[in-house]
Amino acid sequence: MENLEKYRKCFCDIFSLEADSEAEAAKLGSTPDWDSVGHMELITAIEDAFDIMFETEDILKFTSYAEGMEILKKYGVVI
Amino acid sequence: MYLELDQKNKQNMAIIDSEGSKITYGEVLSFVNKFRESVGQRALMFVLSRNCVGAAVGYLGAMANHVVPLMLGAGMDRELLETLIDLYRPSYLWKPVEMVEDEENVLLREYRYALVSTGLPTYLMFEDLSLLLTTSGSTGSPKLVRHSYGNLEAQARNISAFFELDSAERPMVDLPIHYTYGLSVLNSHLYSGATVLLTGMNVLNSEYWDFLKGEKASSFTNVPYSYEILKKLRVFRMDLPYLKTFSQGGGKLEEGLHREFAEYARDTGRKFIVTYGQTEGSARMAWLPPEYALEKCGSIGKAIPGGKLYIVDEDGREIDRPDTIGEMVYEGPNVTLGYAEKREDLVLGDERHGVLYTGDMVKKDSDGFFYIVGRKKRFLKLWGYRVGLDECENLIKAAFDVECACVGDDRCMEIYVTSGQDKDAIRRYLADKTGINSSAFLVHDIEALPRNEAGKILYSVLERREDK
Repeated sequence: MENLEKYRKCFCDIFSLEADSEAEAAKLGSTPDWDSVGHMELITAIEDAFDIMFETEDILKFTSYAEGMEILKKYGVVI
Repeated sequence: MYLELDQKNKQNMAIIDSEGSKITYGEVLSFVNKFRESVGQRALMFVLSRNCVGAAVGYLGAMANHVVPLMLGAGMDRELLETLIDLYRPSYLWKPVEMVEDEENVLLREYRYALVSTGLPTYLMFEDLSLLLTTSGSTGSPKLVRHSYGNLEAQARNISAFFELDSAERPMVDLPIHYTYGLSVLNSHLYSGATVLLTGMNVLNSEYWDFLKGEKASSFTNVPYSYEILKKLRVFRMDLPYLKTFSQGGGKLEEGLHREFAEYARDTGRKFIVTYGQTEGSARMAWLPPEYALEKCGSIGKAIPGGKLYIVDEDGREIDRPDTIGEMVYEGPNVTLGYAEKREDLVLGDERHGVLYTGDMVKKDSDGFFYIVGRKKRFLKLWGYRVGLDECENLIKAAFDVECACVGDDRCMEIYVTSGQDKDAIRRYLADKTGINSSAFLVHDIEALPRNEAGKILYSVLERREDK
């Protein structure tokens, strides 16, 4: 699977989203279910999908779909 | 005066919040006087609370003036709030200024909160009734826990004793202060003359950590789920020189996690304290002294100072043999008066006389340390928040045309509904009403609910089902 697809799938699965556009607009605090519980589920799903382990500051900074793509670059994951 | 607030150093900071407000003990006293001038008589007041100076000082103003507060989350569902107002008819509301509507009669504005008169007449309440808290706040259940003044004094005194609190403490309080656990941290530290750090943020905000580090927080108190997050955030590697005490309550901490934090505390010269409590016992009833955190891993410890714990069998006879399961009973001055389900109940006196059947099934070891093994009462603690199963059934039945039964564990509520309703809609509805992440709810279709001859739902049959 392409990285973009894998990445988007994490959002769709965790937050029960159907449209790609919904995933792309996802933000902590505004997407239903993206609260602290949803956040930990998302972080774990992305770590598993790309076989990486986030640093503390990146877990805290990961607050939107777009932001996450930037953060993943640090870990050598290009989307 | 409440929490002996008038005996603290007036210049000392009492509360600092992460929204930029702070208040000294002297300013708390001035506020208490202003509050008295606005509310001349004993009355019921709803506090729509956020973790900030404004909410806390309104609560203190009420307590110190014998006005009875009911603590509710400011973010609670509007409809559920209206139901509570109709049922209990408070004479006053204390709420964030941004929630005040044009036509409302504001008597006092301080610290970005407003005292609103509802125009509803005051009514007679039991003279020793001090405070009301919800049992299952998120479902808007009308069932409230009635506290006496003595309950809260005992709570503050006992907790400050076993945590060895003094005025140098700076506890981080992100647990909501409208829940018993968060409120008990606030009360016990104010009683000790300490500086309470209040925030509505959680450990996943980077500003949370800026606030904690900037204000040199000395203790952290939280529910099991937050400890899972802390581990994920690799708190063990963080530089937190001022943070000396980690304390846990609000449900059973998984044993592996308990051990990791106990080892971290031992290796870094910190204290890790596991506690046990419930609203009906004015928060804490048992604690595991930090020196036993490793040796008695998985235990809730023993009764707090001034209290007594024992186990009874089904006939109510005390069990003294080790490793024998029974219901845990607590006796102590922090056992609350009883419940209220309507305003007429606020005249009731003490119905428990210091004895509380906790509903938790426990055993104790040969050294007298208690271990929770199960629960008798119909509620779950989802992500640390107590949620009544019957209340959820009622919410669903009222909103959807279904029969419904709820079971589950503290990880997930299993909801069985008849008549093929949209399962996602039910799940989303519960998440919205309770403010709890929808991953905590799982909805199943069932042809008919299992019932006995008397028509009572057989929850044990549902609990044994394979589709869970």
